[in-house]
Amino acid sequence: MKKEDFELLALDYLRGTLLESEKEGFEKLLDDDNFKRQFAEFKEVWKIMDGIKVPEPSPEMDNTFFYVLGNEIEKQRKNHSPLKEYLNDLLRWLMKPQLAYGLLFLVLVGGYLWNTKDVPSSIGDGTVVDSETEQVREKLVLTLLEQNSANKRLEGVSEANKIGRVDDQVINALLRTLNMDPNVNVRLAAIESLTNYVENPKVRQGLIQSIPNQESPIIQVTLANLMLALEEKKSIEPFKQLLEKPELDTTVKKKIEKTIKSII
Amino acid sequence: MQELTDNALMLKVKSGDLDKLGLLYERHKKRLFGFFYNMNFNPSLSEDLVQSVFVRLLKYRHTYSGEGSFLAWMFSTARNVRYDYHKKNGQKFTDLTQVEYKIEDNDTIEEQMNRKDNVALIQRAMMKLDHEKREVLVLSKFKEMKFSEIGNVLGCSEGAAKVRAHRALKDLKQIVHGMQIT
Repeated sequence: MKKEDFELLALDYLRGTLLESEKEGFEKLLDDDNFKRQFAEFKEVWKIMDGIKVPEPSPEMDNTFFYVLGNEIEKQRKNHSPLKEYLNDLLRWLMKPQLAYGLLFLVLVGGYLWNTKDVPSSIGDGTVVDSETEQVREKLVLTLLEQNSANKRLEGVSEANKIGRVDDQVINALLRTLNMDPNVNVRLAAIESLTNYVENPKVRQGLIQSIPNQESPIIQVTLANLMLALEEKKSIEPFKQLLEKPELDTTVKKKIEKTIKSII
Repeated sequence: MQELTDNALMLKVKSGDLDKLGLLYERHKKRLFGFFYNMNFNPSLSEDLVQSVFVRLLKYRHTYSGEGSFLAWMFSTARNVRYDYHKKNGQKFTDLTQVEYKIEDNDTIEEQMNRKDNVALIQRAMMKLDHEKREVLVLSKFKEMKFSEIGNVLGCSEGAAKVRAHRALKDLKQIVHGMQIT
């Protein structure tokens, strides 16, 4: 009987998970020299096992996981939302330059005005704020923005829009996307996402700084509309730099000149 | 702010809220990696196996009932993943020359060397241990897992899990002694 008790309790005692009531009983068993010796040997091996250092998993493990998860989420959305698919197609059609300028302006101004309302953004959809979810979503955003596929990067920007309060890492990633992404739709989506945080000085500064670096007419006009909506005087100088570029589209040039006049 | 339990999160994943799996991954990735690492002492293989576990949790999310502990369900999956991997690839030799060991702040160099030798010895001894025994010992090292949960993972009762762990430690001790003598 004692041997059975010893076998049942020794490991819990070593782990420190034995109940107080059982502890005393087990310690009594150790009065027996045989159990005492056995337990001392167990303790020694157990202690050495504690010395095994488990290395930290690499960041690639996280990247791969979030990539797989992102894929699965995207697949699920496609499967379950034919209406959204239809809307996406419609949006792609509407993104044709002749319609895009006007619509984007409306969306950006509307978005900005909505966000300046005195409503805490984190409770906008009535869900419980969960910082753990936000952290995971931020990781997902950062991973998706690094992907080769433009669709994945768009997905990343779309995930960023769901974050109530973004940290500097996500802001930097969105600004990097705005400045470096080879795909114009992704850059446009990044601007749209960044308009959610225009109250953040870093975001405003980043948007202003990106003005002279933009070569796509649609991005140039979108930024002009945004700066006009924000009445951002600091954007005048970067727009002037843009005007000096000989390759600047004539229509865009006129738009920017008009924007500068309106901001002044 | 109330933190959702693992079970509640997994039920959300099951109902289609897939990004909640990201939370479960963040909560358990290190523990799971530690489990695999202590089973094979191979970091890159352990990372692959962690991935496989979460892919499987995602794939078979509809089978999650919410009864019992999530931890036990996750480790049962981990066990199956490991079994499938070895069935497909065989038990591969792991190079144990790079021994990683914990250093205590006040260790002298001599104590550090002894610690390193001991850890190397125990790692070799664990690799000689039958994999089921190694498994129960590694699981026993997770204090947050009750023996009843370990029993669920192994498919036996709580008492049987305790006895198995005890016997595995006894065998490990004998292997270590044998290696010290030779």
